[in-house]
Amino acid sequence: MTDPHEVHASDSDLSAYLDAELDAAARCRVENHLAACPRCAARLADFRHLAAEFARLPRESLGCDLAGVIAGRLAEEARPRPRVHASGWRGLLPLGFGAAASVALGIAMGAVLFGGGAALPRMAAMSVFDPIPPGGLCPGLDACYARGADMTGAFK
Amino acid sequence: MADDDKGTNQRMDDADEALALRAQAGDRQAFAQLVRRHQERVFRFVLRMLGSREEAMDLTQETFLKAYRALPGWRPEARFATWLFQIARNATLDQLRRRQLVEFVPLDADAPGEAACEPHDAAPLPEERLADRQRIGLLERALGALPAGQREILLLRELEDMSYAEIAATLGVNEGTVKSRLARARAAALAHYRHHAGESPDDRSA
Repeated sequence: MTDPHEVHASDSDLSAYLDAELDAAARCRVENHLAACPRCAARLADFRHLAAEFARLPRESLGCDLAGVIAGRLAEEARPRPRVHASGWRGLLPLGFGAAASVALGIAMGAVLFGGGAALPRMAAMSVFDPIPPGGLCPGLDACYARGADMTGAFK
Repeated sequence: MADDDKGTNQRMDDADEALALRAQAGDRQAFAQLVRRHQERVFRFVLRMLGSREEAMDLTQETFLKAYRALPGWRPEARFATWLFQIARNATLDQLRRRQLVEFVPLDADAPGEAACEPHDAAPLPEERLADRQRIGLLERALGALPAGQREILLLRELEDMSYAEIAATLGVNEGTVKSRLARARAAALAHYRHHAGESPDDRSA
C-alpha cells in the first residue's frame, strides 16, 4: 500500500467526505490522510466554510400561497370551452336569422335589378350615357376598343 | 440527529405519497396540499437558478401545473419531492435556454419583480449585519457566475440538503457523476468567491 501522505485526497473525495457520502473504507482512508496532511485539511475546511456560507443565505419566500392560484388555473383548464352547439338549437337562432335576412335581401335586390317593373326604365335611362366621359381614361381595353380592333385601335 | 432527520423525511415522503395518490384519483384538495408542502422549496430553487423573482413565481406555478398534468404517470416508487424537482429543474433549464442567460441577475437587483408577493425586509440593515450582508452578496455573485449545471447541483445539495441518491434521481445521472460534479462545482464556487472577495486563489483559510 502506498504512503497515504504521498498523494493528496481528491476534491471529489473531500467533498463526499464532507457530505458523509463515502463508504466506510473510503471514509477511513480519507480520515487517515487528513490527520497528517494540512493541505487537504485546509481544502476540506474551505469546503466546509462554503457549506456554512450557503446555510447563511436568506431563505427567500414566496410570500403568498400558490395553491389557490393553481387550483383556479386547473379549474379554468378543466372547464369546457364554449361551443356554438353547446346550448342546443337555440344557439343557432341568431345565426339562422342573419342568414335568412341576407338571402331575403339578396333576392329582393335581384328582383329590383333584373325582375322588370319599375327597375327597367331606370336601367334604360342609364344606358344613354357613354361609359367613358370625354377625355376620360379607359377603365379597360374592352371599354375603349370595339371588338374586332387590335390593341392599337386599328380595325382589321 | 441524522436518524431523526431520516425519520422526519420518511414521514414527509409517506404523507406526500398518500396525497399524490389521492390527487391522482382526482382529489384537487390533495393536490392543493402538495402545492402548499412544496411551493417554498420549489420557488427557492427556481429563484436561485433564474435570479428573477417574477420569473421564479411564474415558473413555480408552471411546475405545479405540469406536475398535475403529469401526475397520471407518477408512480409511488418515485419519491414525490424528487419527481417534482425533476419537473422544476427541466422547466428552469428550458427557461434559461429560452432567454439564453449569459449573466446571472443578482437578487438585490430584482426589485421590480417583488410586487407579486410580500417583499422581504426592506428596512436598512443594522450595521452589525453589514458584513454578513456583504458575504452573502459575495456568495450570490459566486453562485451566479457558475454554469447552470454547477449551480443546480450546489443548490440541491447545500440548500435543499438532498442526498447524492436524490440528486442523481433529480438530475438523471448516477451517483458517481454527482460526486465528481459536485466537487467541481464547489471548487469553482470557492474560486469565484475568492475572486470577488479580492483574495488570491492560493489563499486558504486556516
